[in-house]
Amino acid sequence: MEFTFNGNLIIIPTDVIAGWLSALIGLPIVLYWITKKHYWSTIWDYATSTNHRKVGTLYILFSVLFFFRAGVDALLMRTQLITPENQFWVFQGEKYNELFTTHGTMMIFFVATPILIGLMNVAVPLQIGANDLAFPYLNLVGFYLFLTGGTIFFLAFFFNAAPNMGWTAYAPLSTDSFTVGPNNNFYIFGLQVSGLGTIFAAINMMTTIIRLRAPGLKLTRMPLFPWATLVTSFLILIAFPVLAIALLLLQFDRLYGATFFLGELGHPVYWQHLFWIFGHPEVYIIALPAFGIFSDIISNFSRKNVFGYTAMVASIALIGLLGLMVWAHHMFTVGLGPFSDTFFAVASMLIAVPTGIKVFNWLFTMRRGVISMKAPMLFALGFIPTFVMGGVTGVMLSSAAADMQFHDSYFVVAHFHYVIVGSTILASFAGIYYWYPIMIGKKLDDKLGKWHFWLFLIGFHMTFFLQHLAGLNGMPRRVYDYTYEDGIWTYNFISSIGAYLMGFSMLIFLWNVFKTHRNHKQAENDPWDGRTLEWSIPSPPPEHPFEKMPIINKRDMFWWSKINHEPIPTTENHRASPISKPTVQPMFLSAGLFILSFGFIYGWVWMQLLGGVMALSTFIIRAFYDERKSAYEKEEMENE
Amino acid sequence: MKKWFIFLLVPFLSGCSLRTLNPISETGADQAFLINLSFGLMMFVVAVVCVLFILFTVKYRETEKNKTDIPKHEEGNRTLEIIWTTLPILLLIGLAIPTIIYTFQVSNTDASSEEALHVNVVGEQWRWTFQYENGKETHDKLVLPVDQEVVFHLNSTDVIHSFWVPRLVGKRDAIPGKENKLKVTPNEVGTYQGKCAEYCGILHADMRFVMEVVPEKEFEEWLAKEQ
Repeated sequence: MEFTFNGNLIIIPTDVIAGWLSALIGLPIVLYWITKKHYWSTIWDYATSTNHRKVGTLYILFSVLFFFRAGVDALLMRTQLITPENQFWVFQGEKYNELFTTHGTMMIFFVATPILIGLMNVAVPLQIGANDLAFPYLNLVGFYLFLTGGTIFFLAFFFNAAPNMGWTAYAPLSTDSFTVGPNNNFYIFGLQVSGLGTIFAAINMMTTIIRLRAPGLKLTRMPLFPWATLVTSFLILIAFPVLAIALLLLQFDRLYGATFFLGELGHPVYWQHLFWIFGHPEVYIIALPAFGIFSDIISNFSRKNVFGYTAMVASIALIGLLGLMVWAHHMFTVGLGPFSDTFFAVASMLIAVPTGIKVFNWLFTMRRGVISMKAPMLFALGFIPTFVMGGVTGVMLSSAAADMQFHDSYFVVAHFHYVIVGSTILASFAGIYYWYPIMIGKKLDDKLGKWHFWLFLIGFHMTFFLQHLAGLNGMPRRVYDYTYEDGIWTYNFISSIGAYLMGFSMLIFLWNVFKTHRNHKQAENDPWDGRTLEWSIPSPPPEHPFEKMPIINKRDMFWWSKINHEPIPTTENHRASPISKPTVQPMFLSAGLFILSFGFIYGWVWMQLLGGVMALSTFIIRAFYDERKSAYEKEEMENE
Repeated sequence: MKKWFIFLLVPFLSGCSLRTLNPISETGADQAFLINLSFGLMMFVVAVVCVLFILFTVKYRETEKNKTDIPKHEEGNRTLEIIWTTLPILLLIGLAIPTIIYTFQVSNTDASSEEALHVNVVGEQWRWTFQYENGKETHDKLVLPVDQEVVFHLNSTDVIHSFWVPRLVGKRDAIPGKENKLKVTPNEVGTYQGKCAEYCGILHADMRFVMEVVPEKEFEEWLAKEQ
């Protein structure tokens, strides 16, 4: 659509108009529904509560919403690629580039990372017998930073300014010399704000796991999900600051004419190093928690303890360590020289060893067990072969000379979808089905869960398996078009059908959630015959469920207490724990950062000042006002 | 209809006609060998995992009979754990050695004789320019003599591009401010697809070129011809 406004010709593409229309129609309906059902008080309770379960639920809710947005991007891409020389709607050239950029960025930063942090929030404190996270206020701040970053990035599309440089943002394409306009500023600020939130979450998890375990719950007795969380938090603490630095440098290049990645003194390859020093650990940041979730679920639904616990913990740590020193295997075609290439090739191959140990330990956990095929377990079972296929293509890619053929082709696209969807996304679904009683106090329908699983898995393999062949036949990634002569039509056609099937399976998931909430049946306590501490308390758990701390003397303590018919002993006194008091400060801070970011994105100094003042004043407000003060004063009075 | 014919034909041809596995140069053949080798080794791993996976899930699934059983506690098994730690290491050594050899080989881009042909390859948004030693310049069409060593000097005038002829050899990036080299000897006459493999902006998908490998004599004539 084109029109003239104030003497300027303004062009609005039809997809943006469609986006606005659906938002303008959809939003009032949602608001009306909330008002009619009297949900506002519940929403306000969740929005201001610092309780770990509620914050975790919000993390998961918004990650799933972003998952749908990024999923729609994927479906649009697959529709454009369904036949050669296709002209679907507006999605050629620029618009297609925006699609794969938002798809990739959202899936990594606003789906995979936060959904796992959400599951950590829900489960980790309860699994280690803590009442809440160590810093509940910081936790809510972290969530709001994620939501603000995600929203900034999400809104770019509505201003017809979606980022278009690929999720890796390679310089010099990402500098203002080649991509003008506000588009890619949205990427910088969306990631910068949410990245800060992720760092806060990591600090919180580390402190909680190190300081707040129940008495007797030594690190060597801890379930594997908290273990994976601990290692992941260290990775986040190392990797995310590097991203923050890279984004800041890029911001200076784009907004203030610096030349870090271009020109006489700068160099485009610097960006690739910085980005992958962050980016490769990020892969393990989203894979390790998934491994932890699967370890717990496989052990739970096989009614057996984890096979080779020590090796499992050691391999998590080893994968984390090796994950920090393989970043340049993303850069085998840059021409870093044979010494560097072979070093990073061999280091990357080494990661297969601890990963293999984990796979065999999962398999042998099931051996001689009693495997109950409930929905969470199905996702865990689907994970094993899927992830192994992604893992072996990973080893193939690590072979530096062969990677010159694989690199930036659809083979790579297939590989990383196999590992990320195979681990993170399947783990998130498994975790949601498994811990839903803890989050909400209800149990998702198992039969619909199985439908969801099978359709998703079949659709997934249909979509991505043939992409290996398309890549080997010479299809580069990030192209909106191919020719009949390329000989990749069949692969792409089947791939698109598979994508629609995955999309359909997500509707079943939605229906499952909707149906479960309409039904007022509460989940019974310990619905899965659990092994770990989170099942020893009512579902949904009350605030401060471990007032009298459980005393732990072995792994899977709750399971053994059920087998031996003796309750878990508890301490006499309760431990001073952080309390949850509603607060609006994080909301105010994120509003400030939101305004600040838009000020930078569009270069409006007054807005930068306003946002900056708002954000900084939160520190002053916080210094003089603590919402927990009244509660602590009351406690002190009682003690005297 | 011809177009649908292509659609139906592809699944039958795949596997034997994938471009990267049918290279027309030694270097490309080395890379195809590495792909096949790693594929073979890895299929062994996949097979082992799949057999165990199917065996365990079928044998130990919950039935009416074992519904109330409590499986025996099992800490681990040292022998088994040693096996699945060392065996992958051996497999990986089998892959690492040829990887190191071929990576060093492909990185040696110094012309082995005076006779080697040097071609400047310049990537720009969104076309390729090929400059020959006698000053001849072509766009989006690369002509090479068969059985003669050629050294590409890759460069870019704007963003990063990547020079890729899937049937010739793996790709190398064309980076502004840094010359990359790629040495290869095509040994089969024919016309081949060339592509830009590194995302470079709006028309990245259209940044293609054609590579023609022709007999030496024909090449000399073509090179001498006025542009």
